[in-house]
Amino acid sequence: MIGANGFSQIEELTPEEQAYRDSIKALNLENEAIANSQEAYNRGIELFTQKKFNDAIKEFDKSIKFDPQFTAAYYNKGVAQNEIQKFNEAVKTLSKLIELKSDYSKAFFQRGRAYQGLSDYLNAELDYDKSIKLDASNPKAYYNYGTLRFLQQDYDGAIKHFSKTIELDADFVNAYNDRGSSYRMKKEYSKALADYETALRKNPKMAFVLNNIGTTKTKMKDYAGALAAFNRAVSIDANFHLAYNNRGVVQMHQNRLDDAIKDFNKALQVKSDYSPAASNISGIYFKKKEYQKALEYANKAIQMDNNNAAAYVNRGMAKEMLRDMNGACEDWQKASELGSEAGQQYYSGNCGI
Amino acid sequence: MKRIFITGLLSLLITSVYGQNVEFKSANFKDDKDGLKKATDNIKSGDEFFELGNEAIFQVQSPGLNYELALNHYLKAQEFNPNNALLNFKIGVCYANSPYANKCIPYLYKANELDPSCDHFMNFYYGVALQLDEKFDEAVKAYEAFESEYRKADNFNKFVSKRKRECRDASGAIQDPIRAWVDNVPALNSEYNDYAPSISTDGAEIIYTSDRPNGHTPNKAGSYDKDIYSSSISERKWSAPQQLKGGVNTTSDDVSNNLSYDGTKMLLHREVDGQYDIFESSLNGYNWTSPTTMPFQISSKRANERFAAYSEDGWSIYFNRDNENRSNGFDVMYSSMQSKVQKNYMAAQMISTVNSKFNEGPIYITIDGEKMYIASQGEGSYGGYDIFVSERSQGTWGKPKNMGYPINTPYDDFFFSSTANGKYAYIASNRKGGQGGYDIYKVTFWGPPKAPVMASEDYLLASIVNPMKDNSIESTVEVKKKSFTVFKGKTIDHMTKKPVEAEIEITDNATGKTIETFTTNSATGKFIITLASGKNYGIAVKAEGYLFHSENFDIPEGSADNLVNKVIELKNIAVGSKIALRNVFFDTGKSTLRPESNTELDRLVKLLKDVPSLKIEISGHTDNTGSASLNATLSQDRAEVVVKYLVSKGIAGSRMTAKGYGSSKPVASNNTASGRQENRRTEFEIKAN
Repeated sequence: MIGANGFSQIEELTPEEQAYRDSIKALNLENEAIANSQEAYNRGIELFTQKKFNDAIKEFDKSIKFDPQFTAAYYNKGVAQNEIQKFNEAVKTLSKLIELKSDYSKAFFQRGRAYQGLSDYLNAELDYDKSIKLDASNPKAYYNYGTLRFLQQDYDGAIKHFSKTIELDADFVNAYNDRGSSYRMKKEYSKALADYETALRKNPKMAFVLNNIGTTKTKMKDYAGALAAFNRAVSIDANFHLAYNNRGVVQMHQNRLDDAIKDFNKALQVKSDYSPAASNISGIYFKKKEYQKALEYANKAIQMDNNNAAAYVNRGMAKEMLRDMNGACEDWQKASELGSEAGQQYYSGNCGI
Repeated sequence: MKRIFITGLLSLLITSVYGQNVEFKSANFKDDKDGLKKATDNIKSGDEFFELGNEAIFQVQSPGLNYELALNHYLKAQEFNPNNALLNFKIGVCYANSPYANKCIPYLYKANELDPSCDHFMNFYYGVALQLDEKFDEAVKAYEAFESEYRKADNFNKFVSKRKRECRDASGAIQDPIRAWVDNVPALNSEYNDYAPSISTDGAEIIYTSDRPNGHTPNKAGSYDKDIYSSSISERKWSAPQQLKGGVNTTSDDVSNNLSYDGTKMLLHREVDGQYDIFESSLNGYNWTSPTTMPFQISSKRANERFAAYSEDGWSIYFNRDNENRSNGFDVMYSSMQSKVQKNYMAAQMISTVNSKFNEGPIYITIDGEKMYIASQGEGSYGGYDIFVSERSQGTWGKPKNMGYPINTPYDDFFFSSTANGKYAYIASNRKGGQGGYDIYKVTFWGPPKAPVMASEDYLLASIVNPMKDNSIESTVEVKKKSFTVFKGKTIDHMTKKPVEAEIEITDNATGKTIETFTTNSATGKFIITLASGKNYGIAVKAEGYLFHSENFDIPEGSADNLVNKVIELKNIAVGSKIALRNVFFDTGKSTLRPESNTELDRLVKLLKDVPSLKIEISGHTDNTGSASLNATLSQDRAEVVVKYLVSKGIAGSRMTAKGYGSSKPVASNNTASGRQENRRTEFEIKAN
């Protein structure tokens, strides 16, 4: 290609020309920073997609450093921090973002999620509420708000928000399940079952929903129905220890004590430190009047989880029958302290004198 | 009860583990006539007491010391000859009617073995031994055998019938024990009789009665008088029992009845002038006051009163009283005060619903006043005294119910005193396995059946298993690397160097689009504009009367020196002027015109159209590399291609000539790369104007 050699250079610039040139130079620097910021940002997204969240956060940080006004970089950084459960840091990032852009609905949602992760339900609710106000069409915000109401035992509030979620997204399977659970907590079992069944129709592979159906039917004393649900749950997920454990409880209600023990053992096989199963085995041996074994399994359960109130109740019962009344009372007292009604009842009825 | 002694009649065929019945006959003890004499004398002395004892119990009365005294004699004879059926029988009967009842079993078994017909009552007492030994079916058979043999026209059979019923009840009860443990309390017991326990309702204090050696003078049977002892719980253990401090214990029998719920008062009974009366004592500091007799409504002159108990509200005293005119032994009575200040008790009344045809015994009222525990030998007992419970309903005490096995056994099980929560109680019993005589036992009730806590778990919130992640992030952006270069310059006459006002058009060669069109300053010829870096531009300069000027140039990316400064020299369109068309490009080594050339050539077309008089020669030039003939041909071909293009754009061919000069007309040195590049060119020369 033919070059530009036909030009000759002029050395001096007038002050006006120099000023013009400087302004262009400044513009070039600014443009370069934005480009650097954007490049880091894009690399961050690439790393995020590869689930390399820590590295992604570093890139988003660079991006923010080059261009502190780049809101998308803050947002992505916050999401990445939430992903690796650095909720405190996510709150900081997203708060900064909200300072820059106070109408960023998704930023409030993400910060709500971070607060939820920190069990700061009050602030989480405020953020979800704000997110909903800014964008009333985000079903996830209603959903998370609903789960917070549930956790605070406001089941009516939870039902309201789950219903809104479903209204916005009729295929929001979790919302059906959780609304079902809210009804269940209100002892409205048939409504609970209806919601669980809907969730299951929309996604038949959800073993935990089958488990919820099973435990609800157990509460309704529909043991055959419960058994069927647990059977389906384990056929979907052969390692679903909760379903084995809960099926064991049904077997116990149907007085098939040996089958119950098999199920509890299966749960332990899947999850070797699953304290409730060991505690339940203790309960079965108590019913079989094999008190020494009942004691051994309760000991195991407590070893696995020294806050398992039921295990203390059961161990106390075994100890009583093994004539260790002091030990029994200590266990019931502990169970009572851990919030067990049975522990409280047995302690007050048998101990203290 | 009349006793009939059997003499003679010994079956020679009896063989057993016990061997043969050995009569107290000189023929059997030829070598020890003195010993035989002492033995037979002892039997004779014993028989007197034995008869008295038998008579008392037949009348549902206490045998007193009679059996004990008889036993003292019999045991001496037994030492001399342990293999006499009748003596074994009598010793068995003495024990069976004493607090040491379980000692009767081997003697009665042996008597039955040696000679089942040694006494008319053999089958009855054999039944008693079997009953105590919990061999209930065999016991019933023995009682039935007794019934079939017994010919006397008295009402002894009422005892037999009762015994049979006891066996049946006991048999059923053992099959279906109640939910409680009954444990001996070694810390409180001795080889003597320890009984009549009573506890404060917090379970921390106990009083009870024992005839263990107390330093007093024993009675003629060798037993000590009964004293009251106390113990307290410390670190879940009973302290060593001590005789009550203060004025309660005397050298005669003092029997504890009931400790008040708070442990500050007690009821006891003593024998006064040959009959029992009820007394009360209070705790004053560490000492119990000398007991005072309860008013005559309770402690009467006419009858025995014993085993008193406080009512839950403190207004009444419940107690046992016997009645000479009736054969039902002791019955449960109560007397209530009209005023707690005056303590004026009213005449005692019998509680008919709880009394049986046999002796009632110790009473205990629970602290809530809802239940009364009564010991009774009456209907429903498994043998001896059993503890029954009566529940108060609408002010009336209900029919007492046996508390069941293992609280009650075929032995005496009596006294009952419980903690306020009903979890623990203390009783007395002479059941087997104790330390001797009556012992104190602790009852631990299991309470209502306990169900184990069965834990089931759910994931009630889906987000626990299936966290509701909104991890969609903001999407990528297109990175635009924008940098600018200041393009400054001026247009001057190349001959005179004076500024020329010129029209400049800047083209982006990549797109062919015109980016800027402007006119340089008429006075100075200067211009200053900004161009995006990193591109190749074409610049075309036109000025009136001057030869059209064009060139292409790069503005590199990220140039630190973002300034391009150019002076453009314009040439007059004078005949003979030669202008290199620097923006005309060919494929390397070929004469194929590349499309980027069009802009420049179209400008030339415009010049030729603008100035119709212009005649030009299009010339092709190469550098000196390669073959001269090839260069000549290539440069000729290229010149012709350009002419052809111009013709195709409507310029008359007659105005143009094409000429290839090869490398013959260099404009720069061929010794440098840049010089060679300068030399490779397409030119036009103005031939006419």
